[in-house]
Amino acid sequence: MLIDFFSAVGDVLSSESTYINGALFAALLAYAATGEWVAERSGTLNISVEGMLLSGAFAGILGYHISDLIVVGLVFGVIGGLLIAAVQAEMSHRLTADQFVVGLTLNILVFGLVGFLDREIEPQALRASTVEIPILVDIPLLGKALFGEPWPFYLLYALVPLSWWLVYRTRWGLELRAAGENPQSADVSGIDVNRRRRQSIYYAGFTSGLGGAYFLFARIAAFDDSVIGGQGFIAIAAVIFGGWTLWGTMAGCVLFAGALSFQLSLQGLGYELNTELLQALPYLVTLGAMAIFAKRVRPPAALARPFIRGLK
Amino acid sequence: MTRGARLTEWVALYALSVAVALALASVIVEATGGDWWPVVEALVDGSIMAPGRWGGTLGIAAPLLLVALGTVISSKAGLINIGQEGQLLIGAAVAVYFSFRIGGPGPLNVVVLLLFGALGGAAWASISGLLRYWRGVPEVLSTLLLVFVALQAVGYGLKWQWLLLADEASRGNRNLVSEQLAKDNRIPRPDIFGNEFPITVYVAVALALAVAYVLARTVWGFRLRMLGHNPRAAQRAGVSSTVYGASALAIGGAFAGLAGAAMFAGGGFSFGNYRLVPGFSDNIGWTGLLVALLARERALPAVVAAFVFAGLRNGAGFVNSTGVQSRITDVVQGLLVLALLVPPAVVFLRDRRRARAAATERV
Amino acid sequence: MTDTTTGLTGTGGSDPSVPAVELVGITKRFGGIVACDQVDLTLHRGRIHGILGENGAGKSTLMKVLIGLVLPDVGSVRIDGWPRTIHDPLAAASLGIAMVHQHFSLVDQLSVWENVALGEEGRLKSAGVRDRVVAISQQYGLEIDPDARVGELTAGLRQRVEIIKCLRRDPHILVFDEPTSVLTPEESEQLFGTLREVVAAEGRAVVLVSHKLDEVLHATDEITIMRQGRVVDHRPTHEADARSLARAMVGREVSLRSERAAFGLAEVEEADGESQESDVGSLADIDEATDVDAEDRRPAETTKPDEPVMRIEGASVRGRGGARLLDDISLDLRAGEIVGVAGVEGNGQRTLGDLLSSLVPLDAGRVVVNHEAVPTGSPGAMAKAGVAVIPEDRHDSGVVLDMTVAENLLMVDPHRVARNGVMDKARTAETAQQMIEEFDIGCSGPDAPLWSLSGGNQQRVVLARELAAEPEVLVAAQPTRGLDVGAIEYMTDRLRQTAIDGVAVLLISSELEEILELADRIVVMSRGRIVGELSHAEANLETLGMLMGGSSG
Repeated sequence: MLIDFFSAVGDVLSSESTYINGALFAALLAYAATGEWVAERSGTLNISVEGMLLSGAFAGILGYHISDLIVVGLVFGVIGGLLIAAVQAEMSHRLTADQFVVGLTLNILVFGLVGFLDREIEPQALRASTVEIPILVDIPLLGKALFGEPWPFYLLYALVPLSWWLVYRTRWGLELRAAGENPQSADVSGIDVNRRRRQSIYYAGFTSGLGGAYFLFARIAAFDDSVIGGQGFIAIAAVIFGGWTLWGTMAGCVLFAGALSFQLSLQGLGYELNTELLQALPYLVTLGAMAIFAKRVRPPAALARPFIRGLK
Repeated sequence: MTRGARLTEWVALYALSVAVALALASVIVEATGGDWWPVVEALVDGSIMAPGRWGGTLGIAAPLLLVALGTVISSKAGLINIGQEGQLLIGAAVAVYFSFRIGGPGPLNVVVLLLFGALGGAAWASISGLLRYWRGVPEVLSTLLLVFVALQAVGYGLKWQWLLLADEASRGNRNLVSEQLAKDNRIPRPDIFGNEFPITVYVAVALALAVAYVLARTVWGFRLRMLGHNPRAAQRAGVSSTVYGASALAIGGAFAGLAGAAMFAGGGFSFGNYRLVPGFSDNIGWTGLLVALLARERALPAVVAAFVFAGLRNGAGFVNSTGVQSRITDVVQGLLVLALLVPPAVVFLRDRRRARAAATERV
Repeated sequence: MTDTTTGLTGTGGSDPSVPAVELVGITKRFGGIVACDQVDLTLHRGRIHGILGENGAGKSTLMKVLIGLVLPDVGSVRIDGWPRTIHDPLAAASLGIAMVHQHFSLVDQLSVWENVALGEEGRLKSAGVRDRVVAISQQYGLEIDPDARVGELTAGLRQRVEIIKCLRRDPHILVFDEPTSVLTPEESEQLFGTLREVVAAEGRAVVLVSHKLDEVLHATDEITIMRQGRVVDHRPTHEADARSLARAMVGREVSLRSERAAFGLAEVEEADGESQESDVGSLADIDEATDVDAEDRRPAETTKPDEPVMRIEGASVRGRGGARLLDDISLDLRAGEIVGVAGVEGNGQRTLGDLLSSLVPLDAGRVVVNHEAVPTGSPGAMAKAGVAVIPEDRHDSGVVLDMTVAENLLMVDPHRVARNGVMDKARTAETAQQMIEEFDIGCSGPDAPLWSLSGGNQQRVVLARELAAEPEVLVAAQPTRGLDVGAIEYMTDRLRQTAIDGVAVLLISSELEEILELADRIVVMSRGRIVGELSHAEANLETLGMLMGGSSG
């Protein structure tokens, strides 16, 4: 029995589909987590990322429904994400409403709205075509997962380094990091703190909307309201797990997506692993990592603290 | 500005933003071929007007209020607890577990059940307290992450008979359900003017008064507020942030857990019909948090806010009959919350601008 | 003091005879209070212009007008002869106006060069910024590592970063707001040297805002004195002397020692060789401060009890990354004496205050009050043991701004108005009212929120609460900072009276004059250590200054 189990684990680990599935989930997480990371570096714990993903996914399929073009679907996805970002950003960092009220409300609102519209419109879509990158795709096990994906996947290879460059190498990134660490000082230095924070939320809306649409075209090409199913929160966990560095965040995405894919593959072979434990794994691992490293790895000092000029 | 002018301004601002929210919702309904007005009627009927409905609304308002009261307490200590959904669910699960193992005569079992619910919620929230004060993990992150751990933990419990799962005979054709609570172990739901609701409603309102009193008048409440406003001044004055902060988190969790237990033992058809089922918490924790935040972390306004949210939720049941999906109520609720956030923010920003101008002179 | 300096690298070659800045008839009201009342100010290139005034005299508001944080109600601004409206700090920056802030504008988590680049515009080129930082730091002798993390720098180095940040923008007009409070006398000297260079060699206009007479006399070319929102005097520095400046600043003869101390005048007066007793005698009518004559009271010499009330033994505290915040400090305090702790800010005084406020635990050593070791860092333990504290920053650990005056007065011991854990409303109000009257706290009543009080009255709330506990020891950290003259007198008088009543007073201050004025015994702190101890008789500005600069080690 135990030997059977281990051989099954071996089968799963040596099967390409485990990695392909893993890459699919990892990409979704990476899209969302990249934006979330930018938002958190500027000081916003953007819990509406779940809503942004869902909105992006639905807007994506809507775009395809109208135009029969995946590009249009992706553009719609971005718009869907940006719409949610607009509400989150303007309400919490212009009108100074509590960011959690806005975020929670948006998650509920989007869930209700896309469910409602889905049944009214019933949009349909197709999977995006796969593009294989020659030679690289032949790498054993990982080749297909990394270089034989539906084409929107490859945007990620540009998006992640771009985000890193924006945050660490541009003036905009410097200013938003300052806004996340010490908004008072940033303000005195002539930086519009809340403007930078709004922009970083828009950025999260952009990447998450794109990610939601990508996931839809890459995976199922059909919509239902559980398509995102909490992946936005796993993305938040990945940012925390990564200690607010981009590469750590990406490692979190890969780890968490890997665990999910591993479990799904095992299930496919008829093995019932402790699903709940695996589902809870991203959160448990993140909590554990925080508990161990909390004294050394610190969140941005002003994370989740609103900035209002003149109010210390 | 005179008091009257200020009041008029507030009323106008609220009326305007709520009107905009409702207009948006109506546009969504009309654009998808539905009729808006019947939806409104259905919401009003379903929440208060139709026979027996306001009792149901009160039954939903009670757990919302309980969750909100816990949130008020933890936020007074300066803590951001956003994990009520998980604390509530764990509270319900612990209550279920012990209720069926301890048994006992009806009223006693209800008390045991509620007690363990509160303990369960408190224990779950205390994990965040421990992480916060022992390891320095921000509670806002740990409470959030623990929600998803709680969902899975209870899901796991519902798979195993030695934990929460009912034995085969009483499961019927369902998986993943707990035993049903015996009739004489349930929280009484007396009938008043054709409306029936659990007596936890009275308990919740009484607790709201108690929380308001404790925070405003007792030494403990005073010191808790001190901690929330200025932790260093509080520490110097002898308030241990660890003791008070961890207690506040635990009490917040206890309220959420109590809500979960009360939903199980007295929620009737609104909540699992006396069984623990997957998705039992059904966003009551999240919504309760919203109630507290919208009430600006004050106990008495939370009573009103809880009722409004419960009304929307209960009224949703009538919306389907209009030919418009009931999910529109999620949209209405969301838009309403966002609308309610606008007037205080607008007034705050303007007052702040004035106060800043006045404050600069003191520099 | 050349008016027509050449080599205007900073000014783009505009006509040097045109004033760099003219503020004309600036008036700014906040509610009913006039912060600036028809103020005129003219700044010339190549000159350092001192603006002198008490707290609340309108200096800050005037400077805020200049850097765009406040728009004046009336009045005009001319820059290089052109009328301008300065809406915000960015507009000020584009006109070449920059300010070195009193409260630092640095982000600890960023590196030096990143901080310097913060708030500029255009593309971010790290190599370019680094090079400029190095170039500026060499040019002005402000040595700094551009890649160091700002959070790990000392206060003096942080100020360097501020100055470099300012100079990098090549401003024509530089505003320094109370720059020396975090510097050793030596560092201050160096700063003024740099200023002189910046001004003379490059023809920039510099404003030095200060409340310290000697510093303004020493470092400026001309002086404007403000009082109650108006300019009361303006003259070239070489025509000014300390006494007349002080008189202009306060609006009457200044002779009490405490007042002189507040303006940093002790040394100056002694140098003038004037007798102090005569002044005190002539001014006995000013207020009750004279009831306790400083010259009559040297209790440490007359009544010296042998048993210390409080002993600090070998106290050490380490900060993040192992920095020694307190390093093996030992200190005895006896009833009725005032012990002064002198030192440049950022040398462990804050940690010492925190230690005695139960905010920091000791890593080694102990604190003994009345023969009993007090647990450190344990909430309320020090207060319980009889250690009262007027903290350095009252907003940090002294008061709760969002609570009422009554609540603030009862913070430490709410049980005295409580029954069974419930606070009695009537008794709360009554007790608070008594304290308000006894300490003459200006407020609309016990239920007024604390933020509605002026700084001086907030400080009185702290004092009232701490003294009401009938402490054995009173720790007063920078007790007169940010207060106006009247409030300073009140505070110093209270401290003296407290010592006379038999309380051991520990006065932590970076104002040397204040310490020389009040303390019976003085210890000097540098880098977390006590580097010297002097009796009142041995101490003077020079010996203290040398010890503070770390010349002993």
